[in-house]
Amino acid sequence: MASRETTVFGTINQTIVVLKIIKHYQEEGQGSEVVQGVLLGLVVDDRLEITNCFPFPQHTEDDADFDEVQYQMEMMRSLRHVNIDHLHVGWYQSTYYGSFVSRALLDSQFSYQHAIEESVVLIYDPIKTAQGSLSLKAYRLTPKLMEICKEKDFTPEGLKKANIGFEQMFEEVPIVIKNSHLINVLMWELEDKSTVADKHELLNLSSSNHLEKSLQLLMDRVDDMSQDIVKYNTYSRNLSKQQQQKHQYLQRRQQENAQRQSRGEPPLPEEDISKLFKPPQPPPRMDTLLIAGQINNYCQNVKEFTSQNLGKLFMAEALQGHN
Amino acid sequence: MSRFFARSDSESEESSSDDEITDKAPGATFKQSLLLSDDEEDTKRVVRSAKDKRFEELTNLIKTIRNAMKIRDMSKCLEEFEQLCRAFLKSKNIVDKEGIPPFYIRLLADLEDYLNQLWEDKEGKKKMNKNNAKALSTLRQKIRKYNRDFESEIAAYKENPQESADEEEEEKEPEDSGSSSDSEGEVSSKSFLKKKPEAPSEATDRSQTAKESEDKSSSSDEDDDDDDDDGDWSPSDSDSRSETSDKEEENALKRKRLVTFLKVKRSQDTEKPGVRKEERKKKPKQKEQIEEEAEEEGGWEKVNRGVPLVKEKPKMFAKGTEINTAVVVKKLNEILQARGKKGTDRAAQIELFHALAAIAAENNLGQGILVKIKFNIIASLYDYNPNLAAFMKPDMWKKCLDCIDELLDILFEHNNIFIGENIAEDSENLAVSDQPFRVRGCILTLVERMDEEFTKIMQNTDPHSQEYVDNLKDEGRVCGIVDRLLTYMENKGSTEEICRVYLRRIMHTYYKFDYKAHRRSLGLQGETKSEQDQEENKEENKEENKEENKEESEGEDSAVIMDRLCKFIYAKDRTDRIRTCAILCHIYHHALHSRWYQARDLMLMSHLQDNIQHADPPVQILYNRTMVQLGICAFRQGMIKDAHNALLDIQSSGRAKELLGQGLLMRNMQERNAEQEKIEKRRQVPFHMHINLELLECVYLVSAMLLEIPYMAAHEFDARRRMISKQFHHQLRVGERQPLLGPPESMREHVVAASKAMKMGDWRTCHSFIINEKMNSKVWDLFPEIQRVREMLVRKIQEESLRTYLFTYSSVYDSISMATLSEMFELEMPTVHSIISKMIINEELMASLDQPTQTVMMHRTEPTSLQNMALKLAEKLGNLVENNERVSDLKQGIYGGYFNRDQKGGYQQKQSYQRGMLNFTEVVSCFMSMR
Repeated sequence: MASRETTVFGTINQTIVVLKIIKHYQEEGQGSEVVQGVLLGLVVDDRLEITNCFPFPQHTEDDADFDEVQYQMEMMRSLRHVNIDHLHVGWYQSTYYGSFVSRALLDSQFSYQHAIEESVVLIYDPIKTAQGSLSLKAYRLTPKLMEICKEKDFTPEGLKKANIGFEQMFEEVPIVIKNSHLINVLMWELEDKSTVADKHELLNLSSSNHLEKSLQLLMDRVDDMSQDIVKYNTYSRNLSKQQQQKHQYLQRRQQENAQRQSRGEPPLPEEDISKLFKPPQPPPRMDTLLIAGQINNYCQNVKEFTSQNLGKLFMAEALQGHN
Repeated sequence: MSRFFARSDSESEESSSDDEITDKAPGATFKQSLLLSDDEEDTKRVVRSAKDKRFEELTNLIKTIRNAMKIRDMSKCLEEFEQLCRAFLKSKNIVDKEGIPPFYIRLLADLEDYLNQLWEDKEGKKKMNKNNAKALSTLRQKIRKYNRDFESEIAAYKENPQESADEEEEEKEPEDSGSSSDSEGEVSSKSFLKKKPEAPSEATDRSQTAKESEDKSSSSDEDDDDDDDDGDWSPSDSDSRSETSDKEEENALKRKRLVTFLKVKRSQDTEKPGVRKEERKKKPKQKEQIEEEAEEEGGWEKVNRGVPLVKEKPKMFAKGTEINTAVVVKKLNEILQARGKKGTDRAAQIELFHALAAIAAENNLGQGILVKIKFNIIASLYDYNPNLAAFMKPDMWKKCLDCIDELLDILFEHNNIFIGENIAEDSENLAVSDQPFRVRGCILTLVERMDEEFTKIMQNTDPHSQEYVDNLKDEGRVCGIVDRLLTYMENKGSTEEICRVYLRRIMHTYYKFDYKAHRRSLGLQGETKSEQDQEENKEENKEENKEENKEESEGEDSAVIMDRLCKFIYAKDRTDRIRTCAILCHIYHHALHSRWYQARDLMLMSHLQDNIQHADPPVQILYNRTMVQLGICAFRQGMIKDAHNALLDIQSSGRAKELLGQGLLMRNMQERNAEQEKIEKRRQVPFHMHINLELLECVYLVSAMLLEIPYMAAHEFDARRRMISKQFHHQLRVGERQPLLGPPESMREHVVAASKAMKMGDWRTCHSFIINEKMNSKVWDLFPEIQRVREMLVRKIQEESLRTYLFTYSSVYDSISMATLSEMFELEMPTVHSIISKMIINEELMASLDQPTQTVMMHRTEPTSLQNMALKLAEKLGNLVENNERVSDLKQGIYGGYFNRDQKGGYQQKQSYQRGMLNFTEVVSCFMSMR
């Protein structure tokens, strides 16, 4: 049990889950809109088996009194009736050019993981999938981050003490997708039916559109990062200035006391220094961490994309030369 | 009368039945009293409040003095006495009117007696403490000195048998009314009544008396029969009064009493406004009566304002008086005395002057006196409006013009009249004699004032009414007068005066377009072509240019006139302002007539831009007008850049209207109070001198478009692109925000639509948006040389469209033939060639010209949008790294030991950042290599 608390070595997805997620996005998500849903499954040994899922209904303004929890419970009960695993093991979310590292994700994953230790978040990237390769990733918060979130200590000091960088925020859990034989049969059949043109998507040479979008997003994040750093910079400068003042004040005080002592007068009464020098409000650093994580994510994406595309380009060049 | 007496005589009675008074039907008593003497009350009322106040102050002080006397507190006495003296001084004018209040005299007398008595009393003096003794001696000296001024009064008082027994006197002392002695009973009653308004019912009276009695009982040396006294003091009072004095005083007294009484009643009766109003009406009549009475009584006179003049009017001079210069001058001065006074009837005064002028003329007194009178007539015409903001009425204005005309006639006819403002009044020579006339007065000032009045009239007339046109017709006369004055001054005036009159002339010339000269120059160029236009122009402008035609009939171009006048001013003027104005007007005139280079050179030479902000607002407005005109001129000449620069300042503020003095912007009162608004209103330029704001804006926007669109196309991906014209961008954005784009309606929409077309390099559409029926009627027709301007504009549009096209689409072409371009933009080959060459030289276009095939070969060096983006990202990352370094510097710099102590964390953080950086750089290099 103890081992499972901390690590889930792998997740096994049933194809049905993948298909359902894709279907959900196709039906409801467009563009940068995000779809979310609940994952169901069970823990077997050190693996988490996700066997089914259902989507969260799309929120609209007019049904504000819609009770999400109620809906989930209802849903799970119904699924149980038809003999499907009804244990809540996490949630899934779609993403837009890999921009999923956000405060919202952190908070909800934290609450999930807090309540159900083995829960994971599945991130589905429809754009990459549309380019020909399924992109599905499972993430969990690292124990360190869990601790920090529990303490809600996002000050620079706190983060420093926890010794956490953006790399240590999330851990990716390997995914294995397992099909039932029936589904395998279906897949074969589908592949037979699909035309050649459908598969050529993988060989699409145009790259600038995707790159431009990614770059745009990346730039936005970098701007945010810059701002945060400037903020932090001001904070540290203020802090150090105040430290200096405090130091000076203490010294003066000491001197005066020494003088007084030499004159035989009682020393000055102790004053609350912290009241005199209120330390400046430290900026929360969690957002910066998240931004850094996000930037890293973008970079990974772009790198992946470019390396693939470079390969394709060389291939195309070779082909052209051959012709 | 009886009522009155009954009341005031039997105070005691009333005090017992106080309710009666208040309850008595006030109207009835009131009417009665009205019948009695409704005349005085109002006048008295005027005096009353002030008098009451002062007298109350005095009586209060007296009261305290008497109290102090009683307890022998000399220092207090002295203090109070000094205050009393001051208070008395303050009430000086009331005292002058009313006579010295008897209670005051009484106090003085008593005080002196008392002091003397104390002085004599050596023993008492010894007993006194130091302060008191000192005060006593000071006070004694003071009162001696002081009383010298009132000797006669005090004597009279002392002489008068004082039946007021000591006790009675003392009993009255605490209460100020008591201080009034018998002989002046009026005061006693008055002061008593004075209290009445505060407390109309006798109850208060009662309480007062009660208080008095308390007072007295507290003052030790008082006998105890005050109650009795209290009971009968009013009768005794009335007794004393009845005993007193002669009849006149009695009368006056009655009046006063009555008045005060009525006043009391009044305050009770305020709910009867009807009655009051009635009285008000009677007021004037009453006033006169009062005045008469006042004369009878006091013998001091009130000046009956305004009236004498009117009365005098029919008989200006007594019959049989020999009318000569001296008499007329005297009369003139007499009339002048009334000038500026409050009650003077200004219209009547003008009439008087006229009459005087007529008399002078009739009696052949010579031109000198006539000129003087004329001066005065004009001056009083100007004076007619007390308010600076108000403008002259049309008839006044006509009269004024006539007068000035006549005056100028006289001056021209008679060469021997010298006028000048520095001729002293007494050195004037008005009589007919061998010597030339010398008259004080300045015709130039009068004409300047007239000009200002004209401006004011134009400012205050609705510019879209027939009235305005009618008023504008007077401009001819004004110009005529200025012209005549100019001729006169050229002969007689000093240099400064000539400068001033020249400036006036310039001010009337500079904003008018000289159609005749324009036509002449056109005629020289091509007679046949302009023939038709001429006819049209003539018809159109006949009305407006009447006065100009008149000027032109002299055969001089306005340009020549301007040149001559301005050059004279440049050379001779010593005041900066006139020269500045002249330069600005000159530039304006040049600009108006499309002499761009002259105008520009003059502007640059004058260095006005540097210090115009120190000038006064009207000059600044003139400067703004000139700048705008200069900009429009540059536009007409095809100097788009110059036009844009000239107009930029005016247009970018968004307050063009205000800056040109052509109207006030709606602003809230915080920024501008009523006073400021008035001042600003006075600065407005009359409508006929306005510069069309729409034209101005259109010129600005079109020139901005011609500059901005190619610039935008050239720097599409430049991160540091700067806007040339903010306003133009604003218009573009407004256009983009429109949810539905219909065909353009307003001038701005046209320009925006044209800009969009130009952005695509579509010059035909752009042209059709800029020059069409609507825009012609709105803007372009306002130019004098429409055809030329349009041609220029089309050409500019073609050129700039070509540039934009090349900027935007060069990446699509490998090469493009110049012939195609020339065909596309309907430009000649050499022009296309020169434009492209210029672009290549300026490194705006990465291309080369291939001479044999007449094509432009493009060299792809422009980065693609992705590359641009990557560059931008690299720049941002640079910033980020810089910021990051700053953070780590701070940490290491200040805490020397920090890095070592917490090395792991700090290092790690840094490393992670660096790793991130490595990632970025990799990405960027990837992009670069991909191309």
